Amino acid sequence: MIRLVHIELYKLFSSGRTYMTLSIGVFLMLIINLGLYTDGEKIFDFLLESINEYFLVQGKVVNGYLITYLALNTLWVHIPILIVIVAAHIFSSEFEMGTIRLLLTQPISRRHLFFAKLITMIVFNACFMLLVSLAAFIPALLLFGKGDVIVFIDGIQFVQEATFMGRLIYALLFATLAMIAFSCLSMFFGLLFKSTLTSILLSLGLLILFTLLQKFIFGIFSAWQPFIFTYHFAKWQMFFVNDIPVASILRSVYFLTGMCLFLILLSWIKFEKMNISE
Amino acid sequence: MALLQVEDLSLSYGQQKVLNHISFSFEKGKIIGLLGPNGAGKSSIIKILAGLVFPETGILYYREARKRSFSELREHCSYLIDSPAFYPFLSGKQNLKLIKKINNNKSDIDGILSQVGLASAGKKKVKNYSTGMKQRLSIAQAMMRNSELLILDEPFNGLDPNGFQDLMSLLRNLNQKGTTIVVSSHLLNELEQFADVFILLYKGAIAFQTDKKQLMTAKKSVAFTFEKKPDQKAMVYFEDKESSFESETKVILKLDPNDIAKEVQELVGLNCTPINVEIKNILQEKYLEITI
Repeated sequence: MIRLVHIELYKLFSSGRTYMTLSIGVFLMLIINLGLYTDGEKIFDFLLESINEYFLVQGKVVNGYLITYLALNTLWVHIPILIVIVAAHIFSSEFEMGTIRLLLTQPISRRHLFFAKLITMIVFNACFMLLVSLAAFIPALLLFGKGDVIVFIDGIQFVQEATFMGRLIYALLFATLAMIAFSCLSMFFGLLFKSTLTSILLSLGLLILFTLLQKFIFGIFSAWQPFIFTYHFAKWQMFFVNDIPVASILRSVYFLTGMCLFLILLSWIKFEKMNISE
Repeated sequence: MALLQVEDLSLSYGQQKVLNHISFSFEKGKIIGLLGPNGAGKSSIIKILAGLVFPETGILYYREARKRSFSELREHCSYLIDSPAFYPFLSGKQNLKLIKKINNNKSDIDGILSQVGLASAGKKKVKNYSTGMKQRLSIAQAMMRNSELLILDEPFNGLDPNGFQDLMSLLRNLNQKGTTIVVSSHLLNELEQFADVFILLYKGAIAFQTDKKQLMTAKKSVAFTFEKKPDQKAMVYFEDKESSFESETKVILKLDPNDIAKEVQELVGLNCTPINVEIKNILQEKYLEITI
């Protein structure tokens, strides 16, 4: 099993697609940093105009922590797009290239192969999130320094400098879980349709659809919200609320973990029973 | 003792019956040829033996021990399934290294690559390989496990005449070292020279099964062509034989392979000298008989 995971990781990191995706993720973060470094002050001055009327703001509002928080907003769509490109590829590319026959005619069980690929996918998610976070955080800290953070989540939230790092780590761990859940969805579609493109399109289609529904329609029918995955994806932001709503975050953790387990189970059953006839 | 025995194997894709309760077995050290037209069920049998496709019914015995599933055969067997597929972004050698790591064995990759004629192309990425090169690489990966049973689905596809000859001698060599080989192909003539046992499939059933010994000793259809219509004396002679006329000047006789030369002499004695003698291939005859 460990040998198979090594092999899957070797294949993953031998593919140009993996490096391209990681590079785009890093580049995206660097661009955000650079953009805010050149024009950030003007934008924030404009945004903070109303705050300055009611609060006495001391120190640097535009600091590395705020930039990191803003960069994390790419978790809504950009990062899932990048992650799903590789995650979908891990399974469905074997069908597209025909290499699934090569693998399954070796003396290894389907169960071992499935879980080796699943672990590889989880490792990729973790690596991607770590790399992208570092690419957002390190330049932001170097360019803008530290400070307290003002964010807008259900009103104005003031996050003290001392608590920011802890909140950031939890938010990233939560976001990684969300991205793994999303990757599991694309893995399931990949196994169902044996096509990377179909899997990516369907996963992203659902992401965009649910995000739009959540923003524009479910606002009216809020009772539905806890049943769509994008609602739970967004909970990483809650780690930056003054009083962290632990119960609400835990509900989302349970939902996303359940979503992962359900999709893994479905995918595993599908893979075990699948006829590789083409 | 049968190395492999399959009983009551059947498979359907939806409403289409692909294999219809077939049974077969073969001994160790033989070369088994699976023959048949496209859609006869050759590849399906191989995919079932490889554990890629699950049959509706079927029992597998390997060395007379009943196996729980066909997937268990993978422990003892190497495969070359259909069109070769490898990771295009890796070199031929890197692909083989992956297979070596999966199998956790100590095979000599460079040696195998040179055996299949890919020594100089080992470092080239597979995406730059020709079909023939990929086919050779497939054979290399099948050879890496040094299994006692080698199952090959249409291994001659995409090979040029040199590649074909190389593969034939490679497989013969492996067989001489004790490897049992199952080959599916629609190249009847080539397979007739190569295999020891022949299983002809048609519409998911075994239409004909024979072995090399039977094939060598069985009466063959021999077509004699004459310049003009044979005279009355020769016609009487043909009537006494197992014969049929394809045309006025072409007669088919069923003859023992050892009697063909004697028969030609007798016809010359009857002043009915054939201008052409064609010995029909039994497999081809059966194939045409069944499929037309």
